Amino acid sequence: MAEFPIEADRLTHVYPGGVQALKTTSLQVQVGEVLGVVGQNGSGKTTLVKHFNGLLRPSSGRLLVMGHDSAGQPVYELARHVGYVFQNPNHQLFSTSVRAELQFGPNNLGLPPAEVQTRVEEAVAFFDLAALLEQHPYRLAFPLRKLVAMASVYAMGPQVFVLDEPTTGQDHEGFNLVRRLVQRLREQQKTVIIVSHDMALLAEVADRLVAMWAAEVIAVGTPREIFADDDVMRRTKLSPPQITQFSRRRWPGQPDHLALTVAEAVSWLNPGH
Amino acid sequence: MAQNLPIPVVFVPGRSFFHRLHPLTKLVWAVVAIVMAFATRNPLVLLGMTVLGLAFIAVAGVVPAYGRVMLILFPISLSLIVFQAIAPAFPQPWIPISRLGPFTIYREGIYSGLSLLMRTYAGSTFAVLLVLTTHPSDLFAALQKLGVPHELNFMVSASLQMVPIVQREFQIVLSAQRSRGMRARGFSSVLPSMVPVFAGTIERVQQLAMSLESRAFGSKGVKTSLRESKATATDYVFALLGVVLAGAGTYLVVRYRDLLDWSKVEFLPPWLSVTIVVVAALTFVTFTIALWRQAQQE
Repeated sequence: MAEFPIEADRLTHVYPGGVQALKTTSLQVQVGEVLGVVGQNGSGKTTLVKHFNGLLRPSSGRLLVMGHDSAGQPVYELARHVGYVFQNPNHQLFSTSVRAELQFGPNNLGLPPAEVQTRVEEAVAFFDLAALLEQHPYRLAFPLRKLVAMASVYAMGPQVFVLDEPTTGQDHEGFNLVRRLVQRLREQQKTVIIVSHDMALLAEVADRLVAMWAAEVIAVGTPREIFADDDVMRRTKLSPPQITQFSRRRWPGQPDHLALTVAEAVSWLNPGH
Repeated sequence: MAQNLPIPVVFVPGRSFFHRLHPLTKLVWAVVAIVMAFATRNPLVLLGMTVLGLAFIAVAGVVPAYGRVMLILFPISLSLIVFQAIAPAFPQPWIPISRLGPFTIYREGIYSGLSLLMRTYAGSTFAVLLVLTTHPSDLFAALQKLGVPHELNFMVSASLQMVPIVQREFQIVLSAQRSRGMRARGFSSVLPSMVPVFAGTIERVQQLAMSLESRAFGSKGVKTSLRESKATATDYVFALLGVVLAGAGTYLVVRYRDLLDWSKVEFLPPWLSVTIVVVAALTFVTFTIALWRQAQQE
């Protein structure tokens, strides 16, 4: 396997009409890593990740997927390695049953029927969809529809998952579901790239954060490093999760006491608990 | 990417004489021009009208936008010449002037094709001028003053506004399906891309209806408009000028229709007629193939 499933090498993107949507960006994403991409709307997050499966092509620079230059590889070829889950599941779902929806991607990859069947079964097991297989995707509640959209990408067996706003419109239960799924994907040595405004989610699941501002990557680091960087926080107008803000006031001047989860803060408050 | 073609006929902001002209004045010009264009078949008269229209387009400063419209209209309208040349929309007998493989080219056909082509341009140039220089809301506000029901205006303008939204939606859906390995080719790509677009559009329209009702869309009484356009003396004079010019023109072309009917006259040398048909056919075929290949590539 290539050293980096995704590697951006001095990548830039200029939209037709001359808008520079991405200034020179170099980035290496590791195997088994969960990478969060954060920044305000219009900061270039989606532009960056849309290069990862070829929906956008670099204006200059290179984008390597599994160690190979993505130039000249059509989206349906890159889809073998990079799965992209769109923000709105309604843009992806069209079949009359969840089963057919899950088969669509593997069929497009030209896999033999037996292999398609295996992939669908794996996806059903991973996302716990057995009860919904014959349902019409449009009749499912929104969080479940989002789950089906993710499963339909999972069934294609990519190494890299790009999730665009996976928790938007999700209730608390949906949030926990997404969190668990991302953690399990990492256990399977998959690479997960999450574009999100949900700092609480990223604080819990991300290994590294990429902070973007005005079409540029301004910082890359662990969630702790990024949340502690006041300059980055001010420029990107992001605010760390409430528990992180709380722990900064509770233990001022102690960078090692910067909580990312409530459980963490609780364990520090009650060491014997 | 064929789906990426922007809608070419949209308002171009500006401050020219034609931009400032009252929408109804421009509408009058478009209507009388179309009436006169259909009153004659004479290519020279129609050419004259087209030239006047082009002058207006130039004064309005919307030449590039007009060019984009013609880029689409021109190759398609060339097919008129080709089909008319081999099967004229004229009473028989036809006068053959040349043979082109299995097809016979008739003099009436060339005449009929050319006049239909010029008629298209003569009429559409003034209509395109109206659309390119008038904000849609101004046009609808003006129509409402004429007594066109508010609801009808709203239906038309709302549908027009939906077009770019649906276009963008289609792009997103296509990206989403390509990310799932779809090759966006042939009939197999229709279902995966159309179902989400239509389902989304229907949902959007339902929400729009509710949002309109909650803002008292169905209430009785006189509706006011944010955009008021007042007709000035110039507007009246220019509208009158259009009616008089087109009226006189229409009277003259009808009065002297026998003189202006060139279908039995050899007004073009045969070699030129054949050249026109061949060039038109080649351009039309090339354009069709180019569009087809562009659609295939994505």
